[in-house]
Amino acid sequence: MRNLDHFHKGLYTCLVVLLLTSVFSGRLLAQGLDLATIANPPADSWPTYHGDYSGKRHSPLAQITPQNVPSLALAWAFQTGQGATMKSSPLLVNDVLYFTVPDNVWAIDARSGHQIWHYTYPPNKGLHIGHRGVAMYKEWLYFITPDAHLICLNAKTGTVRWNVQIADVEKGYWSTMSPLVVRDHLIVGVSGDMDNLAGFLRAVDPETGKTQWQWDSTPPVGTPNTASGGMTWMTGTYDPDLNLLYWGTGNPTPVLTGKTRPGDNLYTCSIVALNPDTGKLAWAFQVSPHDTHDWDAVETPVLVDADFGGQPRKMLMQTSRNGYFFVLDRTNGKNLLTAPYGPVNWSIGVDKEGRPIPNPAKEPTPDGRLIAPDEAGLTNYRSPSFDPKTGLFIVSAHPSWSIYFAKPSDGTYGWAGADYSVWSKEEIDAIDYQTGTIKWRHEVGGDARAGVLTTDSGLTFTGDDAGNVLALDTSNGKTLWHAGTSVRMESSPITYELDKRQYVVTGSGGVIFAWALPESVQ
Amino acid sequence: MKALATVAVLIPVPFLAAQTKASKPGPQSAPPAVVERGKSLFGQNCAFCHGREGGGGERGPDLMHSDLIASDVRGNKIGVVVLNGRPATGMPAFKLSPQEISELAAFLHAQKIKSDSRPGGRRGVDVSDLQTGNVESGKQYFNGAGNCSTCHSPTGDLAGVARRYRGLELERRMLYPRDAPATATITLPSGQTFSGKLSYRDEFTIGIIGESGWYQSWPTSQVKYTINEPAQAHVELLGKYTDDDVHNLMAYLQTLR
Repeated sequence: MRNLDHFHKGLYTCLVVLLLTSVFSGRLLAQGLDLATIANPPADSWPTYHGDYSGKRHSPLAQITPQNVPSLALAWAFQTGQGATMKSSPLLVNDVLYFTVPDNVWAIDARSGHQIWHYTYPPNKGLHIGHRGVAMYKEWLYFITPDAHLICLNAKTGTVRWNVQIADVEKGYWSTMSPLVVRDHLIVGVSGDMDNLAGFLRAVDPETGKTQWQWDSTPPVGTPNTASGGMTWMTGTYDPDLNLLYWGTGNPTPVLTGKTRPGDNLYTCSIVALNPDTGKLAWAFQVSPHDTHDWDAVETPVLVDADFGGQPRKMLMQTSRNGYFFVLDRTNGKNLLTAPYGPVNWSIGVDKEGRPIPNPAKEPTPDGRLIAPDEAGLTNYRSPSFDPKTGLFIVSAHPSWSIYFAKPSDGTYGWAGADYSVWSKEEIDAIDYQTGTIKWRHEVGGDARAGVLTTDSGLTFTGDDAGNVLALDTSNGKTLWHAGTSVRMESSPITYELDKRQYVVTGSGGVIFAWALPESVQ
Repeated sequence: MKALATVAVLIPVPFLAAQTKASKPGPQSAPPAVVERGKSLFGQNCAFCHGREGGGGERGPDLMHSDLIASDVRGNKIGVVVLNGRPATGMPAFKLSPQEISELAAFLHAQKIKSDSRPGGRRGVDVSDLQTGNVESGKQYFNGAGNCSTCHSPTGDLAGVARRYRGLELERRMLYPRDAPATATITLPSGQTFSGKLSYRDEFTIGIIGESGWYQSWPTSQVKYTINEPAQAHVELLGKYTDDDVHNLMAYLQTLR
């Protein structure tokens, strides 16, 4: 009897545990993060830098609506205690948020914001300009360091599993990017503008860190009459049906003088489509032939399936740093639309393939050339968002003017010139993807740097340069809610749902903020 | 005088050369290890914007031709800028320790000596680079198409402007004077008005510093306000200038000494 009681008690406990597990977790923790979840992220996850493979930064979540968003309030905040500005997109996997600043990774509880672990990489020579975040696959996190090493961390503990070098910091490479997991590949890229270096994209084995393939943006350094550069410093996107990886490449080097690199300088300032299993180029579209203004084309290549001109299309859209909005057919790279989305004065038109034609008179000179946009570009690494319901491509834009100089004594190595911003302002622009026309503009100050997130309920989350987090009405750009954080956001918001509560997470300065409706309003 | 000349004659020539080549004597010199640590800090924190050698880069100005660096003594001016940033121009603040500031300063001073002594290879923008315009055309533009004379006078506010500013600084101010003051007038629902220097403005709050010197702010949703921002006329011109207009105007302004 006693034994039976014991047995029953044990069975009961097992059942309760099973029940609790299914209610509160809904997943098998032991498996970590699998490819199916990455490909189709459920509402309680944000498993990749962009949230999903498309790069739309659009969430189906709709608990927070235009009607109730005025009640949005702080759920919790997490202070990194670091001087570095938060520029990463946190990942959310199994109720834990993982995010970074240079040399630092944190795991925190997505419900409460309390720290689970903190990993610190030793002091190193790489540029500490910013960090976009980690990637995750199975039980492992992948963290790229300022000195271009790839670190595999145990996601449970933050301890190092292995460390491989991606590029040589002594040559001038560094890295800030969040890798992308595609099939059994981990895709990593590099930065490096101050030296004449070759840009490349590399696939490594997520288990071992061994190189699987490498695609080079430019010919080997030193090849006569060619450019170096084409850095791959932002996370790309992926179409599982076409099995194509889409990536933007950076500017050519030397940066501001083009005389040693005549011609288009392929594949710098380009959007490239690669086979993720082989690294073979499927197609390329160059958004800035022969760039001399540092306008990397690394802004998110956003993948959208919708009608264009009355015909269903698989498209790729980019608001490029050079001031143009591009719509491409992503099956073949053919251009559907090229339209400026702000002041642009450096081109003499668009060629028959949809590429802007640079005006030679606007290359940097010894006495200076007045150029729009400035070197930071009409937008930059901050993420745009595509809202499928309205067909609006929403981007944080930076209308700006600057002066560009280059003279023989500046040489032909690295920066090779000088440029100075003269004036800028910042606005959130909503672009009609079929025409390139601007549906609305919402001014956000002089130098804002917040990314954009849209949700199915018709909300756009972003920030202004004074440090306000903003919720706008996606249909017209009107402000519906704001909260001051005193430091401008330099990252892109994310959203997820836990315990039937929708959170919007933003970072500014060294602090992460989680916003949610008060439980009485939900 | 005579004694001094005699001393100079007695100094052997190789020693003189060594003096010129060696790092600047006195308060700025620092041991190589300190300079090296400063270089590493500069590489991690500053090089992205200011270039690896401090000669200017992405967004950040050339520090080798900076008056601030030239007048700094062991980080006393560099430190203030590094620790506080320059919000108006987009430079962030950096949390560095006093020791790190002095290492950074040591690197910048060593680098400046190197840069100044680089034969014929000066980078950045020199005053001599900005002399390609035509004075008469610039004057015409000032009084004509540019509408500059609507607000400015060569014998009034701009008298001696070329003595106050030169080269790149003059050109940047000409294109857009970032620190030109703006004023605001706030009207409350009661009809009461407040005027002063515009101190803060976002979508939700407007703040001024009035005659009393106190900061005051209001929610923008509850007041009416007008802002007088004279520098906005410069923004309107940016899309209209040809590069020749800029160089000609610059040539004309440089005559206002």
